[in-house]
Amino acid sequence: MAKSWKTLVNGLWNGNPTFRLLIGLCPVLAVTTRAVNGIGMGLATTFVIVCSSVLISLLRKVIPDKVRIPAYIIVIATFVTIVDLVMNAYLPDLHQVLGLFIPLIVVNCIVLGRAEAFASKNGVFASMLDGIGMGLGFTWALTVIGAIRELLGSGTVFGLKVVADGATTIGVMSLPPGAFITLGILMGIMNMISARQKKRAN
Amino acid sequence: MSESVRMVVVLSVIAMVSAAVLAVVYGKTSVIIEENAARALESSVLEVLPGTATVNIIRREQNPLREEDPKEMREKEQKTTIIYQGVDAQGRIIGYAFVGEGNGYGGAIRVLVGVDESTDQVINLKILNHSETPGLGSRVEEEGFRNQFVGKTAQDPIAVNQDINAISGATISSRAVADAVRTALKDTVELYRGGE
Repeated sequence: MAKSWKTLVNGLWNGNPTFRLLIGLCPVLAVTTRAVNGIGMGLATTFVIVCSSVLISLLRKVIPDKVRIPAYIIVIATFVTIVDLVMNAYLPDLHQVLGLFIPLIVVNCIVLGRAEAFASKNGVFASMLDGIGMGLGFTWALTVIGAIRELLGSGTVFGLKVVADGATTIGVMSLPPGAFITLGILMGIMNMISARQKKRAN
Repeated sequence: MSESVRMVVVLSVIAMVSAAVLAVVYGKTSVIIEENAARALESSVLEVLPGTATVNIIRREQNPLREEDPKEMREKEQKTTIIYQGVDAQGRIIGYAFVGEGNGYGGAIRVLVGVDESTDQVINLKILNHSETPGLGSRVEEEGFRNQFVGKTAQDPIAVNQDINAISGATISSRAVADAVRTALKDTVELYRGGE
């Protein structure tokens, strides 16, 4: 039980794909102009990670080692296409914004990375927990970056106006450099918290 | 079973299952996706035909087919033009709108053109989608450029360097929009009037 819990929370902090592993940064930098985009992209990726991790874990003894990468890619691409179609049908506004980045989930290194590093070596239940943890870790990272950039760049959070009318916003935060700045500062804060915890433990 | 045979079999089975699943999902969602696109287009019609309350959709065959037409020609010519007719709250026809397409720098540019019912003059146009360079070709969306087309009829040349000024640094994109408006205007006005 303790082990399962550890697997689940690994992705949230210690093994956070965005802040600790620094993989899958392309969507992190590109879609996080708004908090809502971050949640949408994060949850879409979570769905793909969980589904493909479970399926790959189920098939791990059937798939021959030499063709494992193409097999994983087919599984992942199938789930991504499902997300793309379903989102286009039921959430057209969000799809319009995320449009280009949804198909790119296929080559997001988090998904293939978890398939290769975890799901192909562990059981179905553990792989599912790992997928959920990693996906939610990715989601909260994207949402926090999105919220900060939205607040500073356009003066809103989740589309709600929070700064006074006429207040100056920092335009660069909505542009790609703003994503790098936010990501760097957040990583620094996380490292600081971890370092402090370690010191206290000693 | 030898290893190489197993590799082929496993990959093929995975690919087949994937194809089957996607076919089912596509079948379920494609209808809704098309409906969404139609609704989005309808709201664009309201923009190019101000005052519109309801939109009538008229389908016109561009070239009525005859029995003796060869098969290849039938496939090529079997094209339905969709015309969106804007009607205001009193039931008067304001005008009609249609989609034109031109080849831009980064791909096709699709333009919705709104035309006045009584004068056949362009009222407004809207760029539906494009993949031009941001900051250069994407400026065809700007009002200053689009306003040059207002008041044009099918008799006008509607060509860059004649009655349309191209955006500097974006000649190809400007030309694509002019082409789209010119050809669509010529074809559709004829089609629309011819059917009455």
